[in-house]
Amino acid sequence: MLGRRLLLTLPTLAGVLVVAFLLLNVVPGDPVSEMVGERADSATIARLRAELHLDDPLPVQFGHYVWGVVRGDLGRSYITGRPIAQDLAERFPKTLELALAAMTLAALCGITLGVLAAVGPGGAFDRLAMLVSYLGVSFPVYWVGLLLILLFAVALQWLPPSGSGGLAYLVLPALTLGMRSIAFLARMTRGAMIDVLRSDFIRTARAKGLSEAAVVGRHAFRNALIPVITVLGLDVGNYLTGSLLTETIFSWPGVGRYVLTAISKRDLPAIQGSILFMSVVFVLVNLLTDLLYAKADPRIAYD
Amino acid sequence: MRFLQLFAPLALILPAACGESRSGAVLAYYETYDPRSLDPALSTDVPTGEMATLVYDGLTQFDANGNLLPGLSDRWTAERDGRRYVFHLRPGVKFHDGRPFRAEDVRQSFLRVLSPATRGGRAWPLFPIAGAQAFAGGTAPEVAGIDVLGDTAVAFELVEPLAVFPRFLAMPVASIVPTPAPPDLAEHPVGTGPWRLVAWLHDDYLLFAKHPAYWGTAPAADTLSVRIIPEPLTQAAEFEAGRLSVVEIPFSETRKWEAEHPEWLQRKPALRITYVALNNRRGPLRDPRVRQAINHAVNVPEILRTIWGSRGIRARGAIPPTLPGGDTTRAAYDYDPTAAKRLLAAAGYPNGLALRLWRTGTNVALGRVCQAIQADLEKVGIRVEIVVRDASSQREAARKGVADMAILDWWADYPDGDNFLYPLFHSASFGPGGNYAFYSDPVTDSLILTARRTLDDATRTAQYREIDERVFRAAPWLYLWFPVDLWAKHPSVEGWEIPVIFTGQRWTGAQRAP
Repeated sequence: MLGRRLLLTLPTLAGVLVVAFLLLNVVPGDPVSEMVGERADSATIARLRAELHLDDPLPVQFGHYVWGVVRGDLGRSYITGRPIAQDLAERFPKTLELALAAMTLAALCGITLGVLAAVGPGGAFDRLAMLVSYLGVSFPVYWVGLLLILLFAVALQWLPPSGSGGLAYLVLPALTLGMRSIAFLARMTRGAMIDVLRSDFIRTARAKGLSEAAVVGRHAFRNALIPVITVLGLDVGNYLTGSLLTETIFSWPGVGRYVLTAISKRDLPAIQGSILFMSVVFVLVNLLTDLLYAKADPRIAYD
Repeated sequence: MRFLQLFAPLALILPAACGESRSGAVLAYYETYDPRSLDPALSTDVPTGEMATLVYDGLTQFDANGNLLPGLSDRWTAERDGRRYVFHLRPGVKFHDGRPFRAEDVRQSFLRVLSPATRGGRAWPLFPIAGAQAFAGGTAPEVAGIDVLGDTAVAFELVEPLAVFPRFLAMPVASIVPTPAPPDLAEHPVGTGPWRLVAWLHDDYLLFAKHPAYWGTAPAADTLSVRIIPEPLTQAAEFEAGRLSVVEIPFSETRKWEAEHPEWLQRKPALRITYVALNNRRGPLRDPRVRQAINHAVNVPEILRTIWGSRGIRARGAIPPTLPGGDTTRAAYDYDPTAAKRLLAAAGYPNGLALRLWRTGTNVALGRVCQAIQADLEKVGIRVEIVVRDASSQREAARKGVADMAILDWWADYPDGDNFLYPLFHSASFGPGGNYAFYSDPVTDSLILTARRTLDDATRTAQYREIDERVFRAAPWLYLWFPVDLWAKHPSVEGWEIPVIFTGQRWTGAQRAP
């Protein structure tokens, strides 16, 4: 079953390859122009274009690229000359670290807020939680990130403003990245929990004399998990492909910034390689999310 | 305050990371993006050039004020009216790996840069050498113009006399690497420079240690870290948190820093010009009267004062006033909408015309300048549509000549008037070469070539001034200003000054106060 699902991802990835390739070839801007810098002669530009096969017909260029990918070779960056696979392998652990931190933070805070809010709907805590989640969804990431830096790094000097290193470096970017998830998860969990808490089997559970903690924790929570897992899965997918804004504000050396630099330099193989890599990650995370559904709800089964 | 107390426990757990770099033994600089490579042959942009300058030496070099100094060559002579240069080499110099520096290294380094296999893309500083261009094009097996004279000197035979050639050799691409060059030079550079690379985590930081056997004055500090920090506001925060030694102040933040921390600030006129290239081959802009009208219609001093925070010197030509040949007394185009309208009418546009002005999306300050230009031109009947693209697309449009107008700045590669004339206004530099205005004038072309061949500095300076004047009157650009750089320097850092050229700061004098 897993093998079949994995096979099914191949057409998706092939589609990504084609679309990315075509898009990059219609976008204005010239990689060679970025390679030679501000002052160059036409002879050098023409020679570099020829060496990089940029003047070949598009199908030939695409064929070259696909042939490389099939052999597991993402090519070398036009700008740095480094193998793209190696560049991605160096940066992905940093992105993973940040994504996991943000996700853990989001799951802990978001779900807790949501559950507590659902237990007493309309109460003071509920209103506070919903305020927090409104703010979390509405504030732009960029602005929050800079504000956190100003407060915790410049004014209080408790945390480093940016860069990567130990745990201290992880706090602000993880909070910035996870903020939207916290807000969204809180709302999602609250909604799902309120629905479940109104259903008949909860009344039965209470009637049997189960403690409120058992009712909420064991019976209601598990049934409210499906939408929560969906949201978490989508967010993990997004985080793992790198967050352009958060990585840029916090000088975090991850995949997102790599792509951003590659785009600004029109580093075609680096952009294509990154898109392909991100797509693989995204597809795998979605697959994993589907598998988790089955774990959370035995009624869901794949065959 | 209660809110802050909530976070107090964090302060007990987390200060370690902040504390260590705040204690202050290291010098910390930054780049906005990761260098391409530490192979000097690939040095085509500012971050790469700045880092290459720390690790390598050229035969010549620049100081922070743009003066030409001896490097690996301690003296040189021009022979045959500047057609041949002999560079005498400094004895006893060693590379970071202990190998001695030899004359043959010079030849091999230059062949390496020129070789098509290197794919460097910026070999032009070496093209004046006879045979270099043919070698780079793959049509010659050798560069005839490089002549190794024993162990002590190298001679270069040039295609034609070139007064500024010694300045070309101070550019990062002309750095000397050992022979044979290590295959992983890009990641593990070996040079003769004041700093050797200790670690490089891509997109994160580079760490350099002092090269104690440096032939010149070895660095005063033991280590130099260079962080990669893309966001200007984060750069400022890092500086304010005491984790960067210096920071460049963005134009939009000028007033805030001048008000809050005047004691940290340093300023210096940069070897850079901000201008709007007017496409001299396109539509109404072919007529010099239209271009002159644009220069009269835009109130440059007002824009400079209000939008640019007075951080610039009004341009009355293309050569910066701090370079020989620059002229601050030349009569500028007065702000005179009436004269502009008269010129437009004389050119056949009494009812005005429409133009497109290209700018980059990232440069917000220049974006505001564009809006002011748009408003001023509207008043004389020129309707301007502003086209916002990313830098790469804007450059491509300007290079291909499909943009009517493009707002740009030009950074010096070498501190000499020639760098603001040949690439910007010679017809051989059309498009990618730097002449984005496609300005073409046979007289200007020949004057520029004459000046390049003139060895006598005073004569050459007079020629530069004359050329700049001639071009200015033809108005190929809307002339704006020469920016003044503004940096904050941490009070504990000594021996650092703003370089007028990006290769002019090697961090050898800088140190943290004891």
